[in-house]
Amino acid sequence: MTLFIGFLIGCAFGAILFLGGATSYRRILGTLLLKDLWIIKLMATAIGVGTIGIYALDFVGLANLSVKPVYIGGVALGGLIFGIGWAVSGYCPGTCVVGSAEGKTDAMATLAGGLVGALLFALAIPLLSGALIEPLSFGAVTMPDLLGISGIWLALPFGAALLMVAFVILRERAS
Amino acid sequence: MQDKQAIISWKAAGIALGLLLTLATALVKPLGVSTQFVVSDAVVAHAVAEKFAEGNAYLANYGEANDWGVGYGWMLVFGMFVGGGACALVFRDKQPLADQGSLPELWVSVFGSSRLKRLTAAFAGGVLLLFGARLAGGCTSGHMISGISQLAASSFLFGVCAFGAAIITAHLLYRGRS
Repeated sequence: MTLFIGFLIGCAFGAILFLGGATSYRRILGTLLLKDLWIIKLMATAIGVGTIGIYALDFVGLANLSVKPVYIGGVALGGLIFGIGWAVSGYCPGTCVVGSAEGKTDAMATLAGGLVGALLFALAIPLLSGALIEPLSFGAVTMPDLLGISGIWLALPFGAALLMVAFVILRERAS
Repeated sequence: MQDKQAIISWKAAGIALGLLLTLATALVKPLGVSTQFVVSDAVVAHAVAEKFAEGNAYLANYGEANDWGVGYGWMLVFGMFVGGGACALVFRDKQPLADQGSLPELWVSVFGSSRLKRLTAAFAGGVLLLFGARLAGGCTSGHMISGISQLAASSFLFGVCAFGAAIITAHLLYRGRS
């Protein structure tokens, strides 16, 4: 049953990415060149709605959270390497899957590269773990944990601020 | 660049994605993609070289010879392929021309129309994407969209580093063109 739910959620996710233009090279690079803010507005809206939705669920005890651990070196360096790959390929791991389904050969190349990259990481992990993953590791911490407050009280203003950014602040700065 | 820019607006896509993330968190767990690249590698590795797969600390966590470890997360990514592909079939003629094809106009304007060059860059980018995502523990879905929505400290750090490096790289690639 969980497998089927996963499949259906995935179908909706893929449909949204395709319909919303997230598999488009000009959109992604336009965003990274700070010329076309479509993707930023899409992401800010999704995260704004998601933050409020998730912490509303959490408030009534229904959220199945999955918070990723912090290890400063690995997360920061991984983010930097990821960012370079993002700008070079024009895809991220999710959009290259959808782009491949559209029949885009460059997305298929990114997907194949991704499988190689994940394998290289599996081979490299014994070398990296001591330097980048074990040190400066603080576990699965959230901002509300750090502030010592209940999640909803940060989620509401943060979510509202992101929606404000997308709908009001960036509204006229489209091109 | 404001008019009809995609099949649905960023507002519709963003709200739908936020609601889908909330639904996934209520039913199973938040969205994520990049782990499934490792799962897929582990499935193949277990099939073709079981000793190697079991001997690798990372691959051994995902899948076994008799149970591939294909679970909720993998089905989700498979669903993305099916759902995205089905929409592409149905709505192909509604997709803006500039968003179609494998050789984007912007790319051609600076790097020329060699398909091999574009595919090589896309492949190399893919290697970096997944190496980085696995080192950091997530990608745009798991870290940025799901992670920041959970207000995870780790995901804010990832988001800043990934966007920072991507913006700088994009400007370097297209320097001179502005």
